[in-house]
Amino acid sequence: MSRGTSRALIIATVASSLLVALAPHADADAVAVPAKLVERARLEIQPAGHAFKQITIENPLGDVRVEGYDGTAIQIETRKQAPNEEALDRLRVSLVPNTDGTVRIKTTADGGRELRPLARGAVRIDLIVRAPRAARIEAVSSSGTLEVINMDGGGDLDSGSGRITVRNVAGQLSTHSVSGPTSLAQVFGSVDAQTLSSDLDLDSIGGQRLVATANHGKIEGRRLRSRDIELTTMDGKIVIEAEASIRGKLVVSSMRGDIDVRLRRNGVLVVRGRGTKVNLGATSRSRSDGWVETQLGHLAAGVTPALVEMRSRHGNVQFAIIE
Amino acid sequence: MTCDDVRPRLTAYLDGELEGDRGTVVRGHLRTCAACRQVATDEATLRDGMRALPTVDPPAAMWASIQAQLAIAEVEESKRPSWRRALSRWTPMLPRFAVGGLAAAAAVTVLWWRSHREPVQISQVVDHPSPEIQASRDIPTATPSSPPFGAPSFDDVTADLAAEPARTTATYAETATELVTLAAEVRPGWTDEQRATFDARVAELRAAVDRATDERPRQRAWRAMIRYLQQAIVRDDVALASGGVH
Repeated sequence: MSRGTSRALIIATVASSLLVALAPHADADAVAVPAKLVERARLEIQPAGHAFKQITIENPLGDVRVEGYDGTAIQIETRKQAPNEEALDRLRVSLVPNTDGTVRIKTTADGGRELRPLARGAVRIDLIVRAPRAARIEAVSSSGTLEVINMDGGGDLDSGSGRITVRNVAGQLSTHSVSGPTSLAQVFGSVDAQTLSSDLDLDSIGGQRLVATANHGKIEGRRLRSRDIELTTMDGKIVIEAEASIRGKLVVSSMRGDIDVRLRRNGVLVVRGRGTKVNLGATSRSRSDGWVETQLGHLAAGVTPALVEMRSRHGNVQFAIIE
Repeated sequence: MTCDDVRPRLTAYLDGELEGDRGTVVRGHLRTCAACRQVATDEATLRDGMRALPTVDPPAAMWASIQAQLAIAEVEESKRPSWRRALSRWTPMLPRFAVGGLAAAAAVTVLWWRSHREPVQISQVVDHPSPEIQASRDIPTATPSSPPFGAPSFDDVTADLAAEPARTTATYAETATELVTLAAEVRPGWTDEQRATFDARVAELRAAVDRATDERPRQRAWRAMIRYLQQAIVRDDVALASGGVH
């Protein structure tokens, strides 16, 4: 084992021991409120050898907030809340820093036959993590909010019913939510967002590709500038204001929702729509295959136009150019 | 063997109850018949979704109501003269006793149900390279069995956390099942080639779900299937073009 690796392992062991062992006894910060105990703890982990490249966080017991900053260490603030000491002692935050630059933070509640049953709603752990900007974030939450801001390494975020909020993030980003609303703003990179029963709000998204689907929920977007955009809903409406990239593609589809697209145009644009009622403007014409189409700008030989395609099986389609 | 011969056997086939030649014959038919394959896929999807649904606790109000009825019966009983109580012991058909008996029977039923529906707690190491994190995980059992003494119930945070990934997976499976139903509605508008493409892709995605050994990868596989089904339903001309959208 090299000297660097040994050092890294020692630091990792000490750091995890500190968090797991000391945090439950951080009485100085504990604040007693009626029928509830709150305990706060802080920890800083210094990189051992090389920079932190990925942080994995699993917190099914509360909120997660990840903030990027210009430092190299990871700073973790935990806030545990429980109805009594016994319950508080069951709440754990495990930390596993690995020598390859990845860190895993996970919250759990200890179980055991000798313990009295404890309702899940009676306890919570909230985490605030300040991380080096370049680290990639993989985070899983349940009903708590999941918030990531000011990061450059992208991430993969997974929530149950809690809200996902992403702001000022670069890199490849994936978000998945069962029923929590998702809000992405100022994201620069390829984005893949998926929800089952909640709304998606997109603001200032740029990059190569944006794919977003909401099964039962609406999609609203402003200042969408990705080169290729695909938005799909089954039930919800889709209302966006976007900017057509030169030779890019914007595909907006819904089963039952109305579609309303307003676009800033760069170059030549071909617009197609299909729906119960389709309004693409005065110059549009109906084709024999059921599509309504219009072309904006003069298409010279050898020029590939940007394409806008909108379809709703049982909804209306509306399109307008923003001058 | 024709479709009419195969369809009644599909349930037994999916349950693994057709042995030897009978199973082989059904499997052989499914390889060549897209319609029966679709029926089998739909049924398997539906059954998996239902199997993954969480168990339901009896509402707290039900137990409270039973206790209240028992209390009323006991109070009534205490007010009666001793000779009538003695008589009552020998006349079980008396209406008041019947009420108490019914309530007691209901209570016993609920107690039996509660004690038999708890899954066995099995502690196992979570799939993680580090030995530092361990968690208990509920493995629901197919046959009713009593929990070990003192084991935490689903009312407890630890058990609830352990059961949550499976609940989430069940929600994804349920959504996929809904979409399969929707796809069946638009399917008549597809060409034979599109149907074949759809069936092949769904079978491929379904296999990925089955291959997943843990809940998180299984959820990822369901999400991929959901997205494909959405595309197939809404953008069929693109999604069902040769090979589909992967």
